[in-house]
Amino acid sequence: MSGNTGSYIFSCLFVLLAHGGMLLNVFINGNYSSISQVIILAGAVLILDAAYFVAMPFFKQTTYTVDFLLILILNMSVIFQSCFGGVSLDVKHYITSIVALAACRGGYLVCRNHKWLGQQRKFFYIGIGVLMLAILLLTGSRSMWISLGSITIQPSEFIKPLFVLACATSITEQQKKHKILFFYVVYENLALFGLTAAICLLQWWCRDLGSLPTFVGIYACGFLLRICYPKAKFSKKKLIGAGAALLAAAVAGMRFAPAYVQDRLHVDIWSDKNGDGYQQSQALIAIAKGGWFGKGPGYGGLHKVFAHENDIVFATISEEWGLLYALMMIFAILILVAVPLVNPPRSYFHGTMAAGVCAAFTVQMALNIFGSCNMIPFTGVTIPFISSGGSSMLISGFMAGMLVACQSPTMRAPAVHNHERQQPQQPVFQQQRRPYP
Amino acid sequence: MDQMNLILCAVAAATLDVCALVLIMSAYHERSTGDRRWNRMTSFMELADYNAAYPLGCDEILIGRHASADIRLPDLSVSRYHAILTVSDGIWTITDMGSKSGTFINGVPVKQAQLRENDIIKLGNRQLIFRRRRDANVR
Repeated sequence: MSGNTGSYIFSCLFVLLAHGGMLLNVFINGNYSSISQVIILAGAVLILDAAYFVAMPFFKQTTYTVDFLLILILNMSVIFQSCFGGVSLDVKHYITSIVALAACRGGYLVCRNHKWLGQQRKFFYIGIGVLMLAILLLTGSRSMWISLGSITIQPSEFIKPLFVLACATSITEQQKKHKILFFYVVYENLALFGLTAAICLLQWWCRDLGSLPTFVGIYACGFLLRICYPKAKFSKKKLIGAGAALLAAAVAGMRFAPAYVQDRLHVDIWSDKNGDGYQQSQALIAIAKGGWFGKGPGYGGLHKVFAHENDIVFATISEEWGLLYALMMIFAILILVAVPLVNPPRSYFHGTMAAGVCAAFTVQMALNIFGSCNMIPFTGVTIPFISSGGSSMLISGFMAGMLVACQSPTMRAPAVHNHERQQPQQPVFQQQRRPYP
Repeated sequence: MDQMNLILCAVAAATLDVCALVLIMSAYHERSTGDRRWNRMTSFMELADYNAAYPLGCDEILIGRHASADIRLPDLSVSRYHAILTVSDGIWTITDMGSKSGTFINGVPVKQAQLRENDIIKLGNRQLIFRRRRDANVR
């Protein structure tokens, strides 16, 4: 183990304590017909905790905070999902949580060496291109899902980490400017802008407007870090120009949006409670019914509503566990994305990558929660780690692994061109040398 | 839900809160571990000139005249983006970024070169020494 042993043991104990508290709440307040259901749930959660705690030290990391937060959130989510409409272990969500943990390890191993990743840059663009083609050709008529038998995959989810990596790997190319007519441009920036535009157009085409703000958020973070590269010095003109362009694009998007989007923008959920406003009105009623401490695990009524476990999961948790618990769940995810602020990354690549992941998670959470609370149009975007769904869990786990990589990077020796140079010749300088501070 | 169960809910929520707090404190505590690891990774090196010492706190350090450079040398003989320092496994490498006056290590012009302790880096009219950090904890 590379991290501090004392803090590791303390973190293990407190994560177990937090899950133990939740399971005790399920045991005393939960809606179950047989005690064996609670025992199975408790066993599954605690075994996963213990297994991950044992597996973690095999990966030599500087810090394990992100890992502890991840296992805390994932097992919270397993407990939440297993209690919807009655206590019973949600096996599918449990398996996807394990997949997310494995993806986190994969993300860490892939992203920890940015020098190696920088050499693989072209593959990110190729990967995104292939996924975009898959959306165009395989998803059917303007849809966002690919069906493989009983499994459905959402390719746009897989574009997110590749897009974050494309943003991050191009950050170090900012000084390589080329003159085109009267302007000095960076080819990487042009390529990234073109890629962003293509992704946005594709999302528009396949009517996945919920994911569009996530990609725009990632690009906005990458763009901001680009104009203040290599140090936090903002170019006010560029910033104002970018803000104005974004505002104009948003206004134009809302003005010329398709009819079904216009309907969602102007829907009054209370006058159309059984139509377009059904999910949101039910979600708001459920949040109100739950109050601060909820009705008790398994006693909610929102599980009868379509997409209660992903699109309106915040309301479902609020109803059963209370608004306090739901807000703390969000707080835990916010801590996860804020860890790079406590331990700042030591390279621009990892800094940009952390900002991209943070943007993706925050935008997704905001869209889901504000959407189900009728503060913005309902989009159907998932909350990372909490909503059920294989593609979402897999990619969220991978992106959490990217955050782990930012905390414990590897900086292996690059392929340096060792230009011939003579042995140090210092006499000239030494004669003039004065004491250094 | 009766009073007892409400208390239980509040206690469970408080446990979760305390857990989050412990994890944040743990992150702060591990920060010093990260700093030590970084210092080992960079071999405790720094750049210095007659007036100041510049810590190397990142794996890419841009040296130049531009206000956004990590190490800013306000001298007209230094290009806006003059050279960049990178580190890998404790080995620092300097790369000239197409500067007008060139980059010299111990008087020898280089495009890219590995740095050794006490190397003299000349950028335009400015000279910097690449040396071990002069810190109370570092001998």
